[in-house]
Amino acid sequence: MKYLKSLNKKAKMLDQALSPSDVEEVVAMQSIVGCTSVNDPGWEVDPFGGLGSLCQPMESDLYGCADACWWPAQVPDTMSSHSTWSSDVSKADADWRKLDSIFPEE
Amino acid sequence: MKKKNNMTRALLSTGALAFMGMATSSAQAASGESIIKDRCLICHTETGDAAAPFSRISQQRKTPEGWLMTISRMQQQRGLVISPDEKRELVKYLADKQGLAPSETENLRYVLEKEPNVVESFEPLLQETCVRCHSGARIALQRRTEDEWKWLVHFHMGQQPTAELHAGARDRAWFDIALNQVAPYLGQKFNFDTDAWQQWQAQAKQPLSGRWAVHGFLPEKGNFDATMQVTMQSKDHYQISLEGNYADGSPLAGQGKAVVYTGYEWRGTVTVGGVQMRQVFAASADGQSLVGRMYPNEDDVMGGQIKAVKKTAITAITPSYIKQGEQALLTVSGYQLNGKVNLGSGLKLLEVVSKNDNRWVLKVQASPKASVGTRHIKIGNTSASEPLAVYDQLARVEITPNDSIARVGGGGGKIPKQKSVYRAVGYAAGADGKVGTLDDLRLGYMTANWSLKPFDETAVHDNDIQYAGQIDARGIFTPGDAGPNPARKMSTNNVGNLGVVGTVQEDGKSISGESHLLVTVQKFVRAVIE
Repeated sequence: MKYLKSLNKKAKMLDQALSPSDVEEVVAMQSIVGCTSVNDPGWEVDPFGGLGSLCQPMESDLYGCADACWWPAQVPDTMSSHSTWSSDVSKADADWRKLDSIFPEE
Repeated sequence: MKKKNNMTRALLSTGALAFMGMATSSAQAASGESIIKDRCLICHTETGDAAAPFSRISQQRKTPEGWLMTISRMQQQRGLVISPDEKRELVKYLADKQGLAPSETENLRYVLEKEPNVVESFEPLLQETCVRCHSGARIALQRRTEDEWKWLVHFHMGQQPTAELHAGARDRAWFDIALNQVAPYLGQKFNFDTDAWQQWQAQAKQPLSGRWAVHGFLPEKGNFDATMQVTMQSKDHYQISLEGNYADGSPLAGQGKAVVYTGYEWRGTVTVGGVQMRQVFAASADGQSLVGRMYPNEDDVMGGQIKAVKKTAITAITPSYIKQGEQALLTVSGYQLNGKVNLGSGLKLLEVVSKNDNRWVLKVQASPKASVGTRHIKIGNTSASEPLAVYDQLARVEITPNDSIARVGGGGGKIPKQKSVYRAVGYAAGADGKVGTLDDLRLGYMTANWSLKPFDETAVHDNDIQYAGQIDARGIFTPGDAGPNPARKMSTNNVGNLGVVGTVQEDGKSISGESHLLVTVQKFVRAVIE
């Protein structure tokens, strides 16, 4: 970060997250079984160990984020494994109540 | 980039766990091998090798849950047609014939038991390759030949091509690393052929029928002691009758069934107070103890650890501490306890307040000069394996779990809330008198008052505390409703970054501990093994 200056809020958070203790916090939260450490921002936790940089509300960009199988253990992979998961719900932000989880082992 | 999917939605709703029906066995069910021949050889082939007769099947070992996941995937993704009875029979057959030895599941049972908020730590190679998406235990609870581990890499590439993106393919040769470093490493570390498995196969397996004394904890009601009567119906299939009391005296009773896989993997379903509970226990090699977790089928966070014995034993002492100079009622849980009580130095038995088959209640006086440290209570010739701590003063409180998540849910949606449960563990300073050092004396679980606080400045700014959820007097956190919340900035979900504070009172002083809770969004995928 020597030649870069953080200008917006997110960049400042990134600066702050560079302290070793914060990084450990991030690692701990992302290593909880059931959470994913894939991608930035993540599904459960943002790169700073918090929630401020997640896509929020989740429903507003659920398909844009999830359909391309960003988090296959969190959101059904509609590319190949569960292609019809969300087919009856075209607008997740309006009709999120219709979305169910899948239980592949049923 | 939004993508609309107009195909018909599959009927993949959540429901009862597939294992629920597993306790019934059909006497007419075909043998496992003939089911494989009838159902699986459309794709798999016979190898001609009697020791490993079926391609891609005979070269792997898994837990019952692992085999269940595999067969279910074959149904959903590969067109396998199999009846529920055949599926049950096949899981049993494969878990028995190609399972894991008890020593191979040690320290990894949390993922089978659905223990919440477990923080894993695996080697960087596995952490970076596999544990990005799913638990490390999912891998470590399988045994394969090196070729089979390589096939698994190919499977991921074919089934989820975006694995390339997750693995950072732009910046590194991930496929080469996965195929030529990770798979050979797994082939060594988690090899198909092990001495442990050969020895376990050769060992005589003990029947688990009989009368068991059970001690456990459930978050909503606390500690309980019960008798579990187990009756064999047929080999490895049992009827269960559970009867006992919670610590507050209220009754606990349930009926159910269990199947034992691989000679030690106890999987039971018991209806307790109208709630279907699942038991995931491991039996000891001598068939005299069962250890594991019992949890509601539909709310696995709300379960707890269980220990059952059918030999003379002390399974728990509650509370597990007594203060110098004080009097206390200690509940000793166990089985077939009989004889003189020996409390150890500095402790005097004032009275045996009550005793029955599973539980003795003792009134105990600690001398003001009793030395600080642990004692192992004895009744007759039976020693407690867990210690009783004698302490001078409470020095600090730890909240467990230290890192945790909860997930929003409900709110009219189909996915329920995922709660989180906290307990306070007290410590004395130990011999050096310094708090937070290695010799701190663990006292055990203590009653605490619970509260929440914003974890950081962002949480203050976003007012997470108002929206993310509430914690009750038992330390059970219930998150907020799912869905966009118009009352929040940009209709943010009811997520929150919180601190959980547990405060224990002693001699007019308040001593608090804190832990971290992230209230986050729901998951749309449930897995038997996360």
